[in-house]
Amino acid sequence: MLFNSVEFLLFLPTVFFLYWFVFKKNATTQNLIIILASYLFYGWWDWRFLLLIMGSTLVDFIVGQKIYTAETKKQSKLWLWVSVFFNLSLLGVFKYYNFFVDSFVQLVSSAGYEIKSIWTLSIILPVGISFYTFQTMSYSLDIYYKRVKPTKDFTSFVAFVAFFPQLVAGPIERASNLLSQIKEKRIFSYRQASDGLKLILWGFFKKLVIADSLAPVVDDIFANYATYPASTLILGVCLFSFQVYGDFSGYSDIAIGTAKLFGIELMSNFKFPNFSRNVAEYWQRWHISLSTWFRHYLYIPLGGSRVSKLKSVRNICIIFLVSGFWHGANWTFIFWGGLHALFFIPVFLMGKNRLYKDNVIGQSSALPSIKEVGMVLWTFCLVTFSRIFFRSPSLQDAFSYIRQISDRFSYENYVHPMGYRMIDFYILLVAFILYEYRIRKHERSPFNFKSKWIRFLIYVGVVLGILLFYDDGVNRSFIYFQF
Amino acid sequence: MKKFILKTFLYIIAILLALEITVRVFHLYTEDPPRYIDEYGVEKRVPRNNGIAVYGNRNQAYSEFDINNAGFNSFRDFLPSYEKFELAITGDSFIEGFHQNYQNSIGKKIENNIPSIEAYEYGYAGYDLANQLHLIHSYKKDFDKIDEIIVYLNYENDLKRGVYTPNYERIKMLKSPLFKMRDQIKLLAYGSKIGVLEPIKKFVSGKAFQDKEEGYKTNEIENSDLAKEKDQLYLQNFKSLIKHYGFDKTKTVLLLDSRKTSKAFLDYCAREGIAYLDFSEKFKNSKKATTLIYDWHWNDHGRSLISETISEYILAKYPSMKQ
Repeated sequence: MLFNSVEFLLFLPTVFFLYWFVFKKNATTQNLIIILASYLFYGWWDWRFLLLIMGSTLVDFIVGQKIYTAETKKQSKLWLWVSVFFNLSLLGVFKYYNFFVDSFVQLVSSAGYEIKSIWTLSIILPVGISFYTFQTMSYSLDIYYKRVKPTKDFTSFVAFVAFFPQLVAGPIERASNLLSQIKEKRIFSYRQASDGLKLILWGFFKKLVIADSLAPVVDDIFANYATYPASTLILGVCLFSFQVYGDFSGYSDIAIGTAKLFGIELMSNFKFPNFSRNVAEYWQRWHISLSTWFRHYLYIPLGGSRVSKLKSVRNICIIFLVSGFWHGANWTFIFWGGLHALFFIPVFLMGKNRLYKDNVIGQSSALPSIKEVGMVLWTFCLVTFSRIFFRSPSLQDAFSYIRQISDRFSYENYVHPMGYRMIDFYILLVAFILYEYRIRKHERSPFNFKSKWIRFLIYVGVVLGILLFYDDGVNRSFIYFQF
Repeated sequence: MKKFILKTFLYIIAILLALEITVRVFHLYTEDPPRYIDEYGVEKRVPRNNGIAVYGNRNQAYSEFDINNAGFNSFRDFLPSYEKFELAITGDSFIEGFHQNYQNSIGKKIENNIPSIEAYEYGYAGYDLANQLHLIHSYKKDFDKIDEIIVYLNYENDLKRGVYTPNYERIKMLKSPLFKMRDQIKLLAYGSKIGVLEPIKKFVSGKAFQDKEEGYKTNEIENSDLAKEKDQLYLQNFKSLIKHYGFDKTKTVLLLDSRKTSKAFLDYCAREGIAYLDFSEKFKNSKKATTLIYDWHWNDHGRSLISETISEYILAKYPSMKQ
């Protein structure tokens, strides 16, 4: 079930009503309705997907207990490997198997041997598999590292894995945050619920207005890049940067807002990454739940930055390449990850990777300094350049896209594929950037204005924006569902 | 909880009210003049209505319409006589021309090209050939006085039936309280126009659950057997319509785009002496866009090309009108 569907429009108030009025007795009853709702939400795509999530839940619930009660470290480690192996196997079969087979066939072919790819499987990628497998794995890992104790409450654990707002595209939660809340009875809070509704509204704006209205332009430019000059290709990838940001951060806002309606606080997933002053800051602001996952469960166990510089650089390369591979079974994502490693390493070597951890552009002034603006633009350029690989269907296409920019380095006026005035979109983007700058310190309170009237006018403006840029013909699915 | 529900409800109402005002102030909604079916079973607009038609979410096309004495959008009333030279153009929304100011319609452009002519545009959104021939047949007295009749034929859509039956159900539905409410609440009219209500309509009608992914469609050439079958059916319908309503070959001409019309049909017309005006060459050679940017209807330039095509035909047939 998509957040931006009529089904969800009916589903959410129904579950909200049942949760707070019928199943409000205790945590168990609240969790029961969460489980039922979450399975309905997920099974709406295909009921067979439920078997996977149930399998993953059951395995990690049992493994969690076993890790905790294991008598020796070795036994504990063995059980941890069971969890990791099971979850990675799910990903391996459903997400990466065909990629490995095809890559092997290509490798053999390039060596001069002709073999036919007969081993590829005709299977569909279950929605959000990378998200919930990582979440359940983090549970086992946290128990192994003694960060949390395993729960004996199976209902709570099922609700933790399947919690519908963040099930299919995150934020990827940790047991220490989400499970601990799920185990306790939730009490309704007016402020939390109204904050949730505001976040949902802002998330819809980002998805329906920013992401969906830019999608036809980006699709057109990437599909026909060979016919366009450099100006259009640069425009295409810049707009894609905003599209993917609007799409994914919009989803996260809706997820966090929806969770708030049920009395649950999820972690922040985006903190205005487009205002990052270097690539390290970008990764502290973009898809935070994934980057912290890799930091906690891969980078730090590998030694993190407490080892020699050389080993740290190796660790950085590993997490970025794995992060790229997490996104999809395609060399383009691995290359994208590799590029980010290249961008990150100089920042790390100069010791500036934690420089902006606790502050934001224009921290103590209304306007950013010229230096900050320059740094933000440079970071945006680097990140946007890498998105050519993220968006292209193959490495060859990505390189051809870049070559086309240099070969046809000229300006031509771009005409929207449906003929819309492009100026409308430019004005929209400028207004969006300025507004995001205004709220840059409040990623969880997008309408943080003292005056009630200003807030009300902004609500009206946001809904009006959704209507003005609503496009009936756009595929409304979320980009990150494919991961 | 009570406070939350109450405040949420109040905010929703207040936001909707503010949006209703905004939609009205900026005239984001389109007006749809009322329709009816007259005593001959001809579907048309209620005469003497005027207003503004709007296309696109952000007022991308904004034009005035004026429904005349006969119930069609036109800059003039239709008063055919034997004394004057009248030209009738029948067709669907392309001829009805809500996409452009009624003072700048195809008929007006033809009159500008040939001042001694009076052009009557019998356009109505949704008309197919059955509608058009039924109209000509029903208003025989008027059309007998008209000197030339141009029938716009959109081959893909206009030959799907071999006999005309008035759709009273649709008119009844449009007059239902639900549709009246839609017309009164401009925010609803706007939402309906931009398609924001479409998912809700689909859901209510149960169609949302029947939707299946059609998969990627390529531009492959249509299966030739299927195309043949379709051509046969369309030709059969065409013959049936002519038989039912008649077709005065001496003064009736089809207006069509040969790129979108089957060759078998064109061959049939040639064999039977049914004349047609093909505007495809003009459109193909045009350096400027011929359709609106928000939908497929002809823009001002496209209309100029159509009026040129018709004017050239009239002048070729009646050289004396050149003065």
